Amino acid sequence: MSARLADRIDGLAVAGLAVGHGGRAVLRDVAFAARKGSVTALVGPSGAGKSTLLRCLNRLLLPLAGDVLLDGVDTAGLEPCELRRRVGLVGQTPVMLPGSVRENLAYALEPATADERRLTHALRAAGLAPAFLDRTAGALSGGERARVALARALTRAPELLLLDEPTAALDADAARHVGATLTGLARDGLGVVVATHDLGFAADVADQVVALRDGTAVVGTPAELLATAPHEATEPAS
Amino acid sequence: MSRPLAQLLASAAFVLAAAWLAHRQRLGLSRSLLTAALRAAVQLALVGALIALVFRVPGLAVAFVAVMVATASLTAGSRMRALPGSRRIAIAAIALPALSAVGVLLLVGAFAATPRATIPTAGILIGGAMLATTLTGRRLVEDLGAGADEIEARLSLGDRARDALVPLTRRAIAGAMVPLVDQTRSAGLVTLPGTFVGLVLGGASPETAARVQLTVLLTLLLVQLLSALLTAELVTRAATLPGERVAVPGATG
Repeated sequence: MSARLADRIDGLAVAGLAVGHGGRAVLRDVAFAARKGSVTALVGPSGAGKSTLLRCLNRLLLPLAGDVLLDGVDTAGLEPCELRRRVGLVGQTPVMLPGSVRENLAYALEPATADERRLTHALRAAGLAPAFLDRTAGALSGGERARVALARALTRAPELLLLDEPTAALDADAARHVGATLTGLARDGLGVVVATHDLGFAADVADQVVALRDGTAVVGTPAELLATAPHEATEPAS
Repeated sequence: MSRPLAQLLASAAFVLAAAWLAHRQRLGLSRSLLTAALRAAVQLALVGALIALVFRVPGLAVAFVAVMVATASLTAGSRMRALPGSRRIAIAAIALPALSAVGVLLLVGAFAATPRATIPTAGILIGGAMLATTLTGRRLVEDLGAGADEIEARLSLGDRARDALVPLTRRAIAGAMVPLVDQTRSAGLVTLPGTFVGLVLGGASPETAARVQLTVLLTLLLVQLLSALLTAELVTRAATLPGERVAVPGATG
């Protein structure tokens, strides 16, 4: 992707990115755009670098080379906490902080912005009833925790949301529900980037697929992905 | 029979009895018990001789205290060696609170500024600081690894790296203070603390022994809390990376 084109992307633009651990690159020359209002799926087998790439997008990890631009601005120049509020991340393990669901959702929010309507709206968007607000977060089931973690990210009104294997611990029905939630959020203008090993899920929800293979990324539509890589059937999560 | 000989024979009999019992129960501990007892005897004899020398040459007291600080720092630093600069962290967290407290106690005249009073007092305070540093540092290193998901979740919600580590440091500091708080609360009821016992056996009145013991215990409360706080602060600094990121000990990234 040329720098001039990346400048015009409304969302995240990745150019010439190399990511890895301890100075050793797992992925090189990665280039794609994740626009607001769309779902981008990062797919690939375990160890392909999906989670590492995802964390470079909000600078929880630093890339070895290349640029990540948000609305045309280099994320390296943005204040990291502000970047992470604009580009939220929901990890594979839904961590519940101590206290109620309400306290989880209101975590680190200014009191003025943690009003009931905002919390309820985020819960509904994540597919949970408002009655969940006063439940003890630590006592929730795995699926409920995943939804609360999603709602917690949404209360910050991010412009883009990064999700790492959001269906890893869910059954087929719950995974479909999460897929519908993500596509609904994208329709409302949110940019969604989801790392998944599940090609079926990616095909269902994504507008664009970034397939991580042989140390680099191939960008295409879900149909192109399924046509060119039918052998990469659903694999167990790492 | 003289008292020193009786003490020697009684303690030897007790350790031999322990080794015999361990042997009879097939615990595989007899050798360790005897080796530990022999080692303790040699170490204490050497330390006794060394302290006797220090009492005669007061200038050596500074070197002796320095050796205590160095040994305590090496021990505590080894418990958190997964972190960069663990020895430096341990030296600062042990030496600053313990030696400052010794200075204050000497300055206000709580103890005589002689090697005989200073070395045992410094030893107790350095030992307490080492315990707090070890407990805080080890817990933090464990939690930085086990709590990586929680730290990442907090960072992803917009926390600064320092803020994301606060719950971990608070838990570690509170945990490190538990043994001393319990010891202070139960002093005289469950056990007679070492200073009290030593002074009474040395011929001091129980009132004097209780007063000195109380001074040491209450000083330790602040020394250990400061050691725990300093450890937490220095570990936080060591684990915080530029760009509001946190280094997880043992991770490759």
